Amino acid sequence: MALPYPVVDTDIHNVVSARRIQECLAEPWRSRYAAGSRGPGHLGYWNPNGVMRSDTTLPDGSKLEGSPDGLATEFLGRYGIDIGILNPAGTLHMGLSPDPDYAAAVCHAENRVVADDWLTADPRYRASITIAPNDPHQAADEIHRWAGHPGFVQVLMCSGARMPYGQRYYHPIYEAAAAHGLPVAIHPGTEGIGIAYPSTPAGYPSTYFEWHTGLVMNYIAHLVSLVCEGVFIRFPALRFVFIEGGVSWLPPVLWRFDKNWKALRQSTPWLERPPSEIAADHVRLTTQPIEEPPSSTRCSACSPPRGC
Amino acid sequence: MSPDTRVAVAEVAELPPGARKLVEVEGKSIGLFNVNGTVVAILNACPHELAPVCRGRVTGTTLPSPPGEFRWGRDGEILCCPWHGWEFDLLTGEALADKRRLRTYPVTVEGGTVYVQV
Ligand code: FES
Repeated sequence: MALPYPVVDTDIHNVVSARRIQECLAEPWRSRYAAGSRGPGHLGYWNPNGVMRSDTTLPDGSKLEGSPDGLATEFLGRYGIDIGILNPAGTLHMGLSPDPDYAAAVCHAENRVVADDWLTADPRYRASITIAPNDPHQAADEIHRWAGHPGFVQVLMCSGARMPYGQRYYHPIYEAAAAHGLPVAIHPGTEGIGIAYPSTPAGYPSTYFEWHTGLVMNYIAHLVSLVCEGVFIRFPALRFVFIEGGVSWLPPVLWRFDKNWKALRQSTPWLERPPSEIAADHVRLTTQPIEEPPSSTRCSACSPPRGC
Repeated sequence: MSPDTRVAVAEVAELPPGARKLVEVEGKSIGLFNVNGTVVAILNACPHELAPVCRGRVTGTTLPSPPGEFRWGRDGEILCCPWHGWEFDLLTGEALADKRRLRTYPVTVEGGTVYVQV
């Protein structure tokens, strides 16, 4: 059925072939990748249902999320999606590798494969430029490299971090993204791994269930940091996207944020208007997976302001 | 201001620049402040949650600035509520970060006496 507006899927997790990434890596990284050293490792949290959909095997035995043509036909086509943004999540954890040069090389190789194998496969595809924020200058270089490509529409990095994302260390990333009009997005999955801190300020949770439920704490920390540090004042063109972190936490956090601003604004004199207004202008959230309260009317506080 | 409705509340000599005095006028607690030479009168009730705001710190504040820079200014012009720290401009009564404002009263100084009209 035709809808009166285009449908954009903002968060498609295609799986980029490891063989192709390996082919696109220069030495010494290719040998390292081939030997199986592919990142800082995971904590081993286990989702008994798997993280990806389990009904995506194509007739030839391959997986839908690994096939540029298959995904276009069986997913974009089947569900009437006009634009699909590819966020290949498999490399995000490189951003928490202690080795920033290897991380930058793998991200670049992945972006190369996305450009060559995926963005060429269907005009509905768009993609994120994957970067490793553990070296913001190399990350900025990677943004400059791909920003002119019409298929790349945002910058994507891991949400697990070793310091809150508003801090000056990361500003080269924002400067580069803003210069090209690209939003910067973060995506969960890396909280607690590699050189990141534990996924909660209280320490490591025990189960995937607990870890996943608490991911919002990290999102809150990044949001508050980005606003307080004046990132959106330094880079007025910057937009920041919080992918896959839910939405229901945002209104009460902004209420608290505005209230504190009234008493504490003197520590951030560059914030000349309430944090909630700055967030409304610069921050976007994606809705999947959305919280499901007993009554959907409870979601009304989460409605976007001013018809955004 | 009609001379009939004003009330003498202090001698000018009691209120040198930077000084404050709390007075009662017609059952109201009012704070007198000499703000760098200008005497103002303020109801001693914070518009947020009614704290005795006139007992708060008188200070300066950080002026608007680019991120990462700090510019101190308005020394002696800012009253900080003792309960939740809201900052108020003593000269206008306005809060720096809220629409609510202090209740202010007209002040006149004549013959060495400070008068407030309540
Ligand atoms: S009562 Fe004055 S700031 Fe709350």
